[in-house]
Amino acid sequence: MTEPLVLQPKLDLPAAAPLAEELKARLDGDLVIDGKEVTQLGALCLQVLLAAAISLKGKGHKMTMTHFSDKVVEQMAQMGFSPETLAEGRA
Amino acid sequence: MSDQNDPMAEIRASFFIECEELMEALQDGLQELDDGSEEPETINVVFRAVHSIKGGAGAFGLEALVRFAHRYETVLDEVRNGSLQPDSEAMKLFFLAADHLSDLVRACRDETELDEATSDELLTRLDALLGEDGGSEEVEPEEFEVQGLSLALDLPDLDVDDTEANDSTLYTVRFKPEQELFATGNEPLMLLRNLCDLGEATVRCNFDDLPSLTDLAPETPYVEWIIELKTEAAEPEIRDIFEFVDGLCELEITGPQGEAAAPAPDAPAEEPPAPPEPAAEAADPAPAPEPPANVVPMGNKEPPAPETAKEPEAEKKPATPAAKSVVRVDLERIERLVNLVGELVINQAMLSQSLDEAGLSPHSDAMNGLEEFQRLTRDIQDSVMMIRAQPVKSLFQRMSRIVRESSAAVEKEVRLVTEGEATEVDKTVIERLADPLTHMIRNAVDHGLEATEKREELGKSRAGTVTLTAAHRSGRVIIEVADDGAGINRKRVQEIAANKGLISPDAQLSDSEIDNLLFLPGFSTAKQVSNLSGRGVGMDVVKTSIQSLGGRITINSEPGKGTTFSISLPLTLAVLDGMVVNVAEETLVLPLNVVVETLSLGPDDVQMLRPGNYVVRWRGGFVPLYDLGVMLGYRSHRKTDPGSIVLLIVLEDGSRAALVIDGIQDQRQVVIKGLDDSFYRAPGIAAATILGDGQIALILDPADVISGMGHIRGTDLMLSERKIANE
Repeated sequence: MTEPLVLQPKLDLPAAAPLAEELKARLDGDLVIDGKEVTQLGALCLQVLLAAAISLKGKGHKMTMTHFSDKVVEQMAQMGFSPETLAEGRA
Repeated sequence: MSDQNDPMAEIRASFFIECEELMEALQDGLQELDDGSEEPETINVVFRAVHSIKGGAGAFGLEALVRFAHRYETVLDEVRNGSLQPDSEAMKLFFLAADHLSDLVRACRDETELDEATSDELLTRLDALLGEDGGSEEVEPEEFEVQGLSLALDLPDLDVDDTEANDSTLYTVRFKPEQELFATGNEPLMLLRNLCDLGEATVRCNFDDLPSLTDLAPETPYVEWIIELKTEAAEPEIRDIFEFVDGLCELEITGPQGEAAAPAPDAPAEEPPAPPEPAAEAADPAPAPEPPANVVPMGNKEPPAPETAKEPEAEKKPATPAAKSVVRVDLERIERLVNLVGELVINQAMLSQSLDEAGLSPHSDAMNGLEEFQRLTRDIQDSVMMIRAQPVKSLFQRMSRIVRESSAAVEKEVRLVTEGEATEVDKTVIERLADPLTHMIRNAVDHGLEATEKREELGKSRAGTVTLTAAHRSGRVIIEVADDGAGINRKRVQEIAANKGLISPDAQLSDSEIDNLLFLPGFSTAKQVSNLSGRGVGMDVVKTSIQSLGGRITINSEPGKGTTFSISLPLTLAVLDGMVVNVAEETLVLPLNVVVETLSLGPDDVQMLRPGNYVVRWRGGFVPLYDLGVMLGYRSHRKTDPGSIVLLIVLEDGSRAALVIDGIQDQRQVVIKGLDDSFYRAPGIAAATILGDGQIALILDPADVISGMGHIRGTDLMLSERKIANE
């Protein structure tokens, strides 16, 4: 099993491009996203994660999201997602 | 990922600058409310200032700031919607909350420790204003949960009389952020959170336009949100949430569907207008984002909602000030420009001198061109100085806080009145005025005003008044701190000065001379040292600070009526219109604004008062005469011959003096070059400048020259006038 991708704590505007690059390099298999360090999930990074989930799904791979704090899960909910729906690339 | 190269840092810095402006608007608004303004826009401005700070703080994850601002805003919202009528105590609390908000903003900016204890204490008091269930109003940003929309919309009975019973309205909000929204430090998450705070919401993200990860530009937003919001809030309130992203997003708010939230006032209760077949659509848990019937693009002033919603919107309009185009420039860049202009002025003086020495005709093209060059230099100079000029308003607002805090500390009721807040002063001067002004205000509150009970006994109003005024006068800025207290107790001041050995016990001093004893180092008249002022390090330090700005401070006090401290400052610390004079083969510069007349002494103009002290006859009166060369130590005493040139100067306090000089060279603009600490601080010398021939000339501070070395006091002068008149 591949190493989980541990996300940076602050997923804001400056974090979006590096995150997209990291994810692009990990689209060739199942992917575990570890959110244990995340404190803030902004819309742009959410969008990157969503695009990654859809891309993985299209390739028949699975994305799993783990260890997100309640606070971040709430932030997802405020933007219309849960870790599960985000991982599956659906609203 | 986010380090020093963080582009957010710049946006964050600009957020804090905006916060300063918002705090200014907040203070202004609160002051207007406190002064009894019933203009609905006033509370709107106050609310929006706090709301915008909250919004920005949220974008940067400044949780403590968001938490405080949110609950402060909640209370202000109650005032806004008329549920809460703030009394004077509530207003005091609002001011305290604003002060604390300002502290929080600064602490967040400087990344210093936040005073959570004060936050909690103030929030408890703010919640108390909301009544018993006030606390439940509180919606912590973290506490929000997306709630399912209760779509069993028990449609109201549409009984018009029952407007209060159930006035929830269902809105559909479509929000699509644009790239600039992120670039300006905003974050949709905060907006969505605030929106959800308004009522029951279902948030759905539409990402149909999202490209695959490989094609995705990570900083470009592709998604939009559709929020079904059931709320009691009117549409303008929803729109307010997006106020600070106006133009940075697409926003559509669909008005009430099927709910007669606000029927026309004269609509018959029994026959409400037919609702547009909405129930089925509203019941759809995930309604398609189809274009609604009454879409209102952001910024459009015509809300779809009924009359009731229209009014606040209409009222709000004038509040949005006409967009003023503003560019924020790093102060360092302006400093560089100011220095360059200084060099330009010096260069122009050098060129002028070269052309003079070349013996060119004043009518030659070169001399004409030089004149034009001088005019342009002056215009550039003025324009650059205008850039650095700022209204003193922000400084005055800081002082209102000092008054609040110091009056609370000494338990006096004090009202601060400010005048001339729009007066513009060089930014560097404003910054350096804060400390001396703070001290003067504290002094006025602590020592100047009588205790409340004492005031009542004297038949004065309970609340003392401290007036802070700024104005431009004769090319200088005059700032006055006045109180309506007891005035200076001159007898006591003189006693103390004598006891401390500052003056001889039998000294005969004029009122003004006694008042000026307050500026002596170590002088303190307070019987008890309070924690506010009175440690004896006050007014002398104030005087030194003001002098270091090229300014002067004077006192005017009337027993029983109060005391006024006047600070007179140069408009800028960079250039000065000067008169270049020769004294004992030295070239000196005197500020032109103090020179009111030049005289050539006649044979009978000079009268000796006593050996070494002379006065000069001037327009029916007498003015003390000083030989500048002697006073500055350039030469020993000599007789003032008829025909000598004399400059008549008048200082801000109205005192006059005549200075004997050897010759006048020129009147010109000179660039002030400060003498740094490595130079001996010579009395009477304010700064230096570089002349056109590259020579350095000292710039004099005439008041310092006179006060430091003068031998003739006003009382002497009066005696001399009498004596000469009797002769």
